Amino acid sequence: MAETSEEVAVLVQRVVKDITNAFRRNPHITDRCHMHPATSKSRLYHCVERERCSRVCKMRKNQQRRLLGRKELILSGTLNPIKDLYLGKLALTKFPKSPETWIHRRWVLQQLIQETSLPSFVTKGSLGIIPAERTQQLIREEMEVCGEAAGRYPSNYNAWSHRIWVLQHLAKLDVKILLDELSSTKHWASLHVSDHSGFHYRQFLLKSLVSQTVTDGSILEQNTLRSEPAIVLPKDEEAVASAEESRINLPHLLEEEVEFSTDLIDSYPGHETLWCHRRHVFYLQHHLNGRFPHSVVQLSPADSPGGTLSDLHLIPAGPHTSQAMEVDGLSDSSKQGYSQETKRLKRTPAPDSLGLEMEHRFIDQVLSTCRNMEQARFANAYRKWLVTLSQ
Amino acid sequence: MRLYSLSVLYKGDAKAVLLKAAYDVSSFSFFQRSSVQEFMTFTSQLIVERSSKGSRASVKEQEYLCHVYVRNDSLAGVVIADNEYPSRVAFTLLEKVLDEFSRQVDRIDWPVGSPDTIQYAGLDGHLSRYQNPREADPMTKVQAELDETKIILHNTMESLLERGEKLDDLVSKSEVLGIQSKAFYKTARKQNSCCAIM
Repeated sequence: MAETSEEVAVLVQRVVKDITNAFRRNPHITDRCHMHPATSKSRLYHCVERERCSRVCKMRKNQQRRLLGRKELILSGTLNPIKDLYLGKLALTKFPKSPETWIHRRWVLQQLIQETSLPSFVTKGSLGIIPAERTQQLIREEMEVCGEAAGRYPSNYNAWSHRIWVLQHLAKLDVKILLDELSSTKHWASLHVSDHSGFHYRQFLLKSLVSQTVTDGSILEQNTLRSEPAIVLPKDEEAVASAEESRINLPHLLEEEVEFSTDLIDSYPGHETLWCHRRHVFYLQHHLNGRFPHSVVQLSPADSPGGTLSDLHLIPAGPHTSQAMEVDGLSDSSKQGYSQETKRLKRTPAPDSLGLEMEHRFIDQVLSTCRNMEQARFANAYRKWLVTLSQ
Repeated sequence: MRLYSLSVLYKGDAKAVLLKAAYDVSSFSFFQRSSVQEFMTFTSQLIVERSSKGSRASVKEQEYLCHVYVRNDSLAGVVIADNEYPSRVAFTLLEKVLDEFSRQVDRIDWPVGSPDTIQYAGLDGHLSRYQNPREADPMTKVQAELDETKIILHNTMESLLERGEKLDDLVSKSEVLGIQSKAFYKTARKQNSCCAIM
């Protein structure tokens, strides 16, 4: 990383120069922010110097004012949002958790997708409505930034939450992107077996896929997630075909995830995250099997006295442009969620008994071969949880 | 899951002699790396000195796990990993490395050796290969020989020390740690930060 720290310093200095020049050109902004060019420049240099000396920088106090300044510059058109995103990316290499940086980043992204007259989504033949190339580029970049930050700090909740936010607001939970994310994060997850946020991300992806394919082929459900008017008709053959495809793959996807979980639990004994993940996947499978045995059936309110999929707290009520993190609601519900979910499960049809049997056999196998106390404890706790499901 | 260091040492009567070491400090920021490396050497030596011959142990310190194997012939190996890395694989690695080392380096050279004089080049390769435990050792699920119940578990470095001994004293007396590292340790200790040792 020796070379890159030099590069980092040079590039940050270039951006600092830009910002300083911008301040000089627009004194009225300076006044409103109560910042003098000299002071802001020296503050930023101070930050850069501190970064280079690798000392912990107590930025909080100054950070709010600095970020406010950057917002002003972006709104006035003097600072290119893309440059600001780049500056944020650099900051995250040093402070991968920094909540202010992530919040500011979401603000900038919202400016980007709102400001331009170009559409964020386009219709592309049989694929239906997909994100435009420009949007895809932004999404890819954000995925990369989140991935790097996640690697720099264990269970980096802020980074993974941001990743989820991007999928919800930039990608609008596009199925192909969700599937890509599921496969591309698999290897990372297998090397970070106690990263709860990383596995929670996979649970989010699976839940989103489940919720999007449990319709009878009408894309109306999907379209409520997008603010742009949908042009795809429910009877559109190609749209139904692609929905069919997702439907067919879903049980397979979940089965693969179970195998993945088994593999990890066997190879890396004693990690609660893995057992937690298994519960989520099993629950999703059961949810799917319980309602839709072999073919997709329209989900009607009468079928589910306990509730609909929205009970899974997957889908935000509508696209929001505020800084409120819907994903906080997601993780909250999953934390306090077990009691809510088990209550719902008690009202629904009994879980598929073959699936349960296989899980019990898996637990038996683990208990008979494991030499790790924690592993045995988790296996027993999982067994107890399964028992509550069938009561 | 990561491995940070892999070292081969000789457990002398008075102290542990470092024979060869490999490090992967790429996940640390540039300016911390030399200090981190020094601390890992310091830790490895300390652990070997406080472990008896013919024993295996895992020492936990914050988010690190140090696995040590001291053979009956006083040859010892230490691997420093994070808390995700499976200990089974770590001990397999140590067994393999010490076996290979003892075949390539004469016993006579062990008590007086140093990383400059010892002719053994396998460590870096092993360290890098074992970063992904499943690629390196596909049979990790099957653990026939090693009896895990015999591995001693220490929950902190402190539990290795004698009564009354303080880690702070050992750090300040150490010849392995540079002035900067010792200063860094003092500050980290004061701030109670998560990197007290490394």
